[in-house]
Amino acid sequence: MSKIETKAFIQERFAEYYKTKSSNIQPPTRMENREFAFLIFKEKIMLRHKGFKNAENLRNLLKNVAPSDVYYSSAHYERPEEEMEEKGWLGADLIFDIDADHIPTPCNKQHDTWTCNKCGATGRGPPPEGCPQCGEQRFDDKTWPCEVCLESAKEETIKLVDVLTRDFGLSSDEVNVAFSGHRGYHVHVENEVIQTLDQVARKEIVDYIVGVGLEPQLLGVEGGSGPNLDDPGWRGRIAKGTYDFLNTATFTQLAEIGLKKSAVKTLVTQRARVLESWRDRGPWKVLKGVGSEGWRRVVQKAVEEQSVKIDTVVTTDIHRLIRLTDTLHGKTGLKKTAVAISDVEEFDPLKGAIAFKEGVIKITVSEAPKFTLGERTYGPYKDLEVELPTAAALFLLCKGAARVAEEIVHV
Amino acid sequence: MLVAATADPRVKRTYALAEAKRVSNQLKEENKEVIEKIADNFNWKLKTIENRSSAPSLDFTLRFTDFVKNAATIQDKKWKLINRILLKGEVYLTKAEVSRLLEEEVRRYIEGKLETKVGELPPNLMTRVERLKQLFFQKRGRTGWEEAPKEIVIMAYPPCIKSLYDTLSSGRHLSHIGRFTLTTFLVNIGMTVESVIDLFRALSDFNERMTRYQVEHIAGGRGSRTKYIPPRCDTLRTHGVCPGMDEICKTIRHPLGYYRRKIRVVRAEAPATSRV
Repeated sequence: MSKIETKAFIQERFAEYYKTKSSNIQPPTRMENREFAFLIFKEKIMLRHKGFKNAENLRNLLKNVAPSDVYYSSAHYERPEEEMEEKGWLGADLIFDIDADHIPTPCNKQHDTWTCNKCGATGRGPPPEGCPQCGEQRFDDKTWPCEVCLESAKEETIKLVDVLTRDFGLSSDEVNVAFSGHRGYHVHVENEVIQTLDQVARKEIVDYIVGVGLEPQLLGVEGGSGPNLDDPGWRGRIAKGTYDFLNTATFTQLAEIGLKKSAVKTLVTQRARVLESWRDRGPWKVLKGVGSEGWRRVVQKAVEEQSVKIDTVVTTDIHRLIRLTDTLHGKTGLKKTAVAISDVEEFDPLKGAIAFKEGVIKITVSEAPKFTLGERTYGPYKDLEVELPTAAALFLLCKGAARVAEEIVHV
Repeated sequence: MLVAATADPRVKRTYALAEAKRVSNQLKEENKEVIEKIADNFNWKLKTIENRSSAPSLDFTLRFTDFVKNAATIQDKKWKLINRILLKGEVYLTKAEVSRLLEEEVRRYIEGKLETKVGELPPNLMTRVERLKQLFFQKRGRTGWEEAPKEIVIMAYPPCIKSLYDTLSSGRHLSHIGRFTLTTFLVNIGMTVESVIDLFRALSDFNERMTRYQVEHIAGGRGSRTKYIPPRCDTLRTHGVCPGMDEICKTIRHPLGYYRRKIRVVRAEAPATSRV
């Protein structure tokens, strides 16, 4: 099948999904105040400024149009169908996007590939600064969701939920977590008071979560009662981050954060004393030879470790579009899946987000790394015709890594 | 009413600030009950700390939303949420700090009130309004924000702009906020729309029509007619655009402020041509 036919094939599968499953799709709260938007398969254009009065109308559109992606506005408007300037902004939910793209992961993203725009050289992992062959600095990159990436994103999500509930005092029914359907998680906060916050106020919340502007002295570092492990909020996080770092840091790691030689030596040779100091008021005043600047650097490192890696632009944007839960992701064929806060730890997105559970499809794979979906592991494949369960096949088709060979079974 | 009638934003801002300061000074003398009542008027969720054994120097807790609404515009680092104790949605504060935050609330309240349009007033009142304006400008000087000098001085770019500029000229990818920051900066220091568009030509995904539309929009030439300015320094820090501060950065809050200041330094260092 050609590229175009493959696209039409994917759309047919999406249409089937919406025909059979759309009754499960719940509209967002206050749906009549939201803007809806749809990415259309064929033209790859965004249908925007749509409004719906009830869930049935929305579901009918999904069945009839079978879009590749479905979004709604985090904002509420008086007139959601008007142009931006005319909409009449009433407020917006607070949303967070955690995506593997923003997190350094232990897999080093070896499953991602890049192609040099100039000479066509290719490589694995995130694109380099300059092409090793021709020095070019522009690349096309292909990304994959792997278990390691998704696990890292999940860890950040758990950290975020912890900050939101403990520090910000939000209740578990105000904080909604969902797997995005691709490489990360969305956390969506709906709270009466937060809704009306402007961008400046939201920026303060973002800075708190990512650890920007933290002033160690204002949080008691070097003061009489330095931050300790059981302190709440950032005081506790500074202590925990410092504890973790100093407990294991090597000479090189300590030198890397810019500590003086003498300070490095003190911290390594007196590790036992540092450890002991946490029983009392922490190491801040115990050690001679680290100094203000030294502690500042250690704390900076601790903050980096403890900060939550969110996309800062998304959270400060008060007009953002966000994917609707239980709709399909056009890049994977997986569905955006809500996860109860208590289940996040156990949740496996590569099982829980599978939308197509029946049938098989025969496809020709151009190239794909080894990947896991459901109970099975697939690949790596290169120029190979294979018959795969619908979800795995659609995943490769949506990724643009394969085309349809022939449809065998279609339930 | 007289102040509202001047219809001058600077007169209004100054008046609102002065009134707010007056209120805040009075509040410092008041007891906690009075402060609680006033906070309640503005729908703040403010609570007195009953058990002060754990936090002896702190008097109140305030819902974080009320805190950020009012503290976000105060510059000192101690007003950043991250440098406060935040627990279960409550920020811990002293009485003096609550008064300072109320000052912000009062200032915005008065500014809001002054937004009302005052119609034609009797002539004797109008003379008074004019007199008020004159007095204000005599004291303040009319200039306000200096116009940026016309020629472009690349040496005076702040570190963030320098880095964005270098990235773009070498054809590397810039984030959306990076592009916005660079474009607004260049347009505001007087670069022409054409020259800005030319800079973007180095990008592989350059699309003249789209770029022109966006740059013209930012320059205030299309649709909304608003001319945009670059984000402030702390916003650039939030989004990871700030590459780290130099000495001048420590004295300013805005990339355009840096440019104005640095230009003076650059000029002062340039050899005077008139001397023989």
